Amino acid sequence: MIATLLAAWAATIPAFAAPFLLATVGLIINERAGVMNLGAEGIMAIAAVVSVLISLDGGGVGVALLGGVAAGLVLTAVFAVLAVLLRVDQVLAGLVTFALGIGISGYVGDGYDNQTIPGLSALPTSLFGWMPKTLAGVLDQDVLTYVAFGIAVLVWYIIEHTDLGLRLRAVGEDAPAADAAGVNVALYRLGAVLAGGVLCAVAGAHLSLVGSHLWVDGMVAGRGWIAVAMVTLARWNALRAIAAALLFGAIQALVPQLLSSGLNVPVYFIEMSPYLATLAYLLLAGMFANGADAQPVDLGRPYLREERR
Amino acid sequence: MGKLIVSPRLAAPPRLAAFTMLGGLGAGMLISAIFLLTQGLGLSDLASQFLGYTFTDPAGLDQTLTRAIPLTLVGLSVAVCLRVKFWNIGVEGQLWAGALAATTVPLYHIGPEPVHLWIMALAAMLGGGAWCGVCALARLKLRANEVVTTLLMNYVAYMLAQQLLYGAWRNPEDSFPVSRAFSPDETLALLGFGHVHAGIFFALAAALFCWWLCSLSRVGYMARAVAANPLAARAVGVPAAAVVLLMATLGGALSGLAGFTIVCGEEHKLTQFIGNDYIFPSIVIAYLARTSPLGVVVAAVAVAALYTAGDSLKAFYQLPGATVLTIQAILLLCVCCGEFLLRYRMDWVKTVKVRA
Repeated sequence: MIATLLAAWAATIPAFAAPFLLATVGLIINERAGVMNLGAEGIMAIAAVVSVLISLDGGGVGVALLGGVAAGLVLTAVFAVLAVLLRVDQVLAGLVTFALGIGISGYVGDGYDNQTIPGLSALPTSLFGWMPKTLAGVLDQDVLTYVAFGIAVLVWYIIEHTDLGLRLRAVGEDAPAADAAGVNVALYRLGAVLAGGVLCAVAGAHLSLVGSHLWVDGMVAGRGWIAVAMVTLARWNALRAIAAALLFGAIQALVPQLLSSGLNVPVYFIEMSPYLATLAYLLLAGMFANGADAQPVDLGRPYLREERR
Repeated sequence: MGKLIVSPRLAAPPRLAAFTMLGGLGAGMLISAIFLLTQGLGLSDLASQFLGYTFTDPAGLDQTLTRAIPLTLVGLSVAVCLRVKFWNIGVEGQLWAGALAATTVPLYHIGPEPVHLWIMALAAMLGGGAWCGVCALARLKLRANEVVTTLLMNYVAYMLAQQLLYGAWRNPEDSFPVSRAFSPDETLALLGFGHVHAGIFFALAAALFCWWLCSLSRVGYMARAVAANPLAARAVGVPAAAVVLLMATLGGALSGLAGFTIVCGEEHKLTQFIGNDYIFPSIVIAYLARTSPLGVVVAAVAVAALYTAGDSLKAFYQLPGATVLTIQAILLLCVCCGEFLLRYRMDWVKTVKVRA
């Protein structure tokens, strides 16, 4: 009984973890370039709703995904203009983006609530027939979930091991120095913000295309905010983001299992645990980091050559 | 050909400050109005909903003022924290913490019955203050980003409240996930105008206190120094860390007090959804008021009126509930853009060709 429960739980974890992972990796790209985007929740919402609308209109999964990403990109562009070009405080710009995304998604999705779409289903089970059952359950996911984990590795490689990543990190750690070395700070930040926004949008599309197969107002349910916190848990590293996403995904996947099992457990305390773990991790990192914490030094500082420190 | 040069202004002329603010607000309202007109509302509908109903109709005014009470307190909370450049995006968590702390007083019979209400207010301030103070301490001692910590503390408080409401505090009579009702001694008196309750005095007193603190007191003066340049402030002997801790704790206490006014003034018990949707309005209010405590009162009433109008638009014109959030976002967006013109000057510089 326990074994089947565990197997069922394990099989649902990757699909729960993937949206967290995509959004967190997107935000890591942003933050390594020195830009904190609190608008992830809004970007995810707009992508989720547009994907559903296109699907309801008869579009295929690919078209729906592209449409969702395009919508998320437009909203991200608003943030980019505010935060990078107009140098509005990034917290403020992010919150505006969040509210715009949630507000507009509520508008365009109005009247399309709870209409199911075909969405994206898991790969055919026959592919995994030769494996042990539990492993097959875990590996039998949809394509987008696989893409999510692939993107995390790819982004990690680009940030940590390529020249492009080096310049990106330079912009985030010391914008004046990067500028002096000939890196176009505004251009790199714009690129990072837009790339991060694309990943957040894919995360939102994953929620509706893979997760729920429908749109309900408020369905992002704080996942974008969790992604903001998960960046710290991953210590700004896309590979560690996989572990962080699996942790949050595992807890989120556990809750429905517990509820359906009828066991009398404090569900909300269990749901609270990843938040507490992130807080504890943040505090412990501060206690033991000896001044070498992972947060990009120029995070949240708008840069203008005329204002150099 | 030429080149656009953006450079920061050393000092912003006051007339320009007023102009960009009004211009931003005006542009925001214009865009919002056009947006609503495209949704099938007429101009006269707009005027009657936004100006008529919210301020002159007794039912509308009642709703506006009642909602303005917690909005003023959370707006003050963000504003006070912003005075020391501390981003408090955890007002919901602090509000929950305050409501939870206040609820413990009647549930566990803490202190003498007749003064329960005052103990509840105090407990709420302590709860909210602790919820935010911890984050300030974490930033000062451990360099933990307060945006992330205050954000996470929202969820901790919310989950804690839900766990209590589904567990130990569940109403014993009907098993609904709400606490048992407070006795009349433990609730804020109604003022004889609809649902408006005595919490309005708490909100106004808090605004006056914050105004005194920020504008007249020594702490407010030091806060300005810390906000302008923490290093320089510390160098001239300002206890920068203590000032940040004090202001952030006060901010949390104000949000906690907002929780107190909701459970004691509106709900008369702890219910499941008291702390929802306060983060963005609190930021909008504090920002539109430019962190001025008295300005917060005005901005809070304006945002409350927006919610009142939103409710009636939802009821009579079937507009989705997202209307209010969208309008707030548009307003803040436009004011932010206006702010850019205030803080930077743009010059078009012609490039001159030099003949070799």
